[in-house]
Amino acid sequence: MFKRLLEFVGFEPGRLSARWISGSEGAKFAATAQKITDHTRALGPNTKMRDEN
Amino acid sequence: MEKLFISRDSLKKLLDRLARNLNLVAPVKDPEGIIMFGPVADAGQVLLEYQNSTLPPKSFFFPQTERLFKFSYGQEGMALEDMCGSDKRVLFGVHPCDLKSILSLDPVFAGAYKDPYYINKRENSAIIGLACSNPSPGCFCATFGFGPDDGEGSDIMLTPSGKGFDADVLTDKGQEIVASYKDLFEKAGDSPRIAGETRLTVKKLDLTGIKELLDGNFELEYWNQVFEKCLGCGICTYVCPTCHCFDIYDSSKGGCDGERYRSWDSCMFTHFTMMAGGHNPRPSKKERVRNRFMHKLKYHIDRYGLAGCVGCGRCVKSCPVNIDIRRIISDLGEVSRNGQL
Amino acid sequence: MREIARDLLESGQVNLVIGYGRGTGILRTTPVFIRKPSDAGQLVYNPLCGNNLVKYLLDQRNKEGRAAVCVKGCDSRAVNRLIQDRQIDREKVYIIGLPCGGILDPDRVEGAVDPGEEIKETVISGEGYDLITAAGKYSFTMAGAGSEKCSTCQNHNPVVYDVMAGDPSDTPDIKDDGFDDVRKIEEMTVEQKSAYWDRQFSRCLRCYACRNSCTACSCRECVFDQVNTGWVSRSSNLSENTAFHLIRAFHVAGRCVDCGECERVCPVGIPLRVLNRKILMDLKDLFNTATPGLTPDGERVLGQFSADDPEEFM
Repeated sequence: MFKRLLEFVGFEPGRLSARWISGSEGAKFAATAQKITDHTRALGPNTKMRDEN
Repeated sequence: MEKLFISRDSLKKLLDRLARNLNLVAPVKDPEGIIMFGPVADAGQVLLEYQNSTLPPKSFFFPQTERLFKFSYGQEGMALEDMCGSDKRVLFGVHPCDLKSILSLDPVFAGAYKDPYYINKRENSAIIGLACSNPSPGCFCATFGFGPDDGEGSDIMLTPSGKGFDADVLTDKGQEIVASYKDLFEKAGDSPRIAGETRLTVKKLDLTGIKELLDGNFELEYWNQVFEKCLGCGICTYVCPTCHCFDIYDSSKGGCDGERYRSWDSCMFTHFTMMAGGHNPRPSKKERVRNRFMHKLKYHIDRYGLAGCVGCGRCVKSCPVNIDIRRIISDLGEVSRNGQL
Repeated sequence: MREIARDLLESGQVNLVIGYGRGTGILRTTPVFIRKPSDAGQLVYNPLCGNNLVKYLLDQRNKEGRAAVCVKGCDSRAVNRLIQDRQIDREKVYIIGLPCGGILDPDRVEGAVDPGEEIKETVISGEGYDLITAAGKYSFTMAGAGSEKCSTCQNHNPVVYDVMAGDPSDTPDIKDDGFDDVRKIEEMTVEQKSAYWDRQFSRCLRCYACRNSCTACSCRECVFDQVNTGWVSRSSNLSENTAFHLIRAFHVAGRCVDCGECERVCPVGIPLRVLNRKILMDLKDLFNTATPGLTPDGERVLGQFSADDPEEFM
């Protein structure tokens, strides 16, 4: 729900990811972490809601 | 005081040059149709007539959020970096109510205590006032001893007349502007000033007896009838050109550095007078609502000899529950005459 | 409505009636708190009665006696919601239902009327209203001058009430809310959405009127008042303002009844309803739920789960 809200106000899709992974799904954890890292890197630095102080 | 004239076309050229040479702050209409004061790059957007802006230009002297200084703690001890400082700018199109409100803020920030942030902005600003050719029905500036064409507080006061504006040069700063752009100004003409007639249409409420009533009666039964509908939001204080309360916060990301900033606070918020230890002398909406009107109609006059309200009507328009200072003034007048409503 | 109020107060069934009274100027009405039967004449009802009065019930929570409140359709959903949240006791509230064919937007009516006048009578006429004053008649249609929120109204009559003041409105309820206002923004590109909301949130003053007028916002101590925790600072800049609005929208998610007050009260015109409606649209899409507040024993959408819930995060 929050993901959709963020996309609604202009965050790029995939900027926020949420995944439910059990402690025993080690391979899935590693693969997901890699995928999200690659995706975020491709998106580039976040420009919204940056700390302006 | 030098009396000059500037034609409409010349005024547009003046604004254009000011926008390019200095910073120009003027009323513009944003894409949603809301009129606000803002920095202007394209002078073509500037409104040469408008009834009222949604927010007053006070935020150019007293911003909603203002960073005061940065602090960092390193090997040499504590270092502070001052963040006071602003660029020179010209505010254009300020109506008399807002001019008066800036004069009302001066004793607060530049009176007994000198607030460097405010003073710096004030010194770096020149103000071109604009008389109201079409006051809004909600305006009541005449109540407080001035009118829609009163230029006090501006450096140059423009009043619509004929094919342009009469320009009264009131201060040295105004003289400097005229001198820098003298090809755009002419000698004053004979056309009648439009705003002279509007002076008669602006409402003048009767303040007789109100100050005396409030001076002698802190506990008035009347306030019980007013406070219940208040939502306790900060709209009235934030749109008000004379409101000036703020709170100071330190912000740090948990490390050895951070900054101190101040931002607007509202006496209508619950925690406004909350003290360390938990005591709150204004515990309910009644005390807070009463405080607001006491400040506008009494305390500001007691402290500085100037009215706390300038009759701009913004709080009246924006209050979601229609708490109306005009109604309160007329009710208080009646209470002072008859003892009750 | 005035008779109902007078009777309720005289018989002692309630000790307070919260309703609409004459405001200052033709375009305004103001909440009134009637405690004496003789004051019941102050109550008015016309198409400019936009306020949602249910918020004041929260002030009466711990007081003795019963309070009566006048509600339109949208407002009545808020009553149900507060009962479901256990914020108020049903027995302590007497609901006076008001039929509503839609309210007029004061900003759209402003230029056409003399503010000094007073509405003597309202006549429902065709697709709008005739406002009768001492000087004459002003006619408006809902399409031309109505509040935007009424174009998707699903409850022209209150969904819960103890008594109805007047005949029910026969304006048809919109059954299928297409959420066009939300979709219009969803269709923008990422850059357009970002620019649009940046422009809206930069205007935010952090006056908290949206929070204070919202019936779903009933926390005794709001997170935005807890400055020392550092969740959100008090400074008003684009970043903090965006955070404020997103967090507030999410805090009321599932409890917002779409009464529209947040957008009506905003002094700088931020389209807040659209944010909350986006969440409402997603709730309907993901969990097939109805608008909160339609029934007194409705579900708490985000307060429960079922094994059939969509699992996009797996």
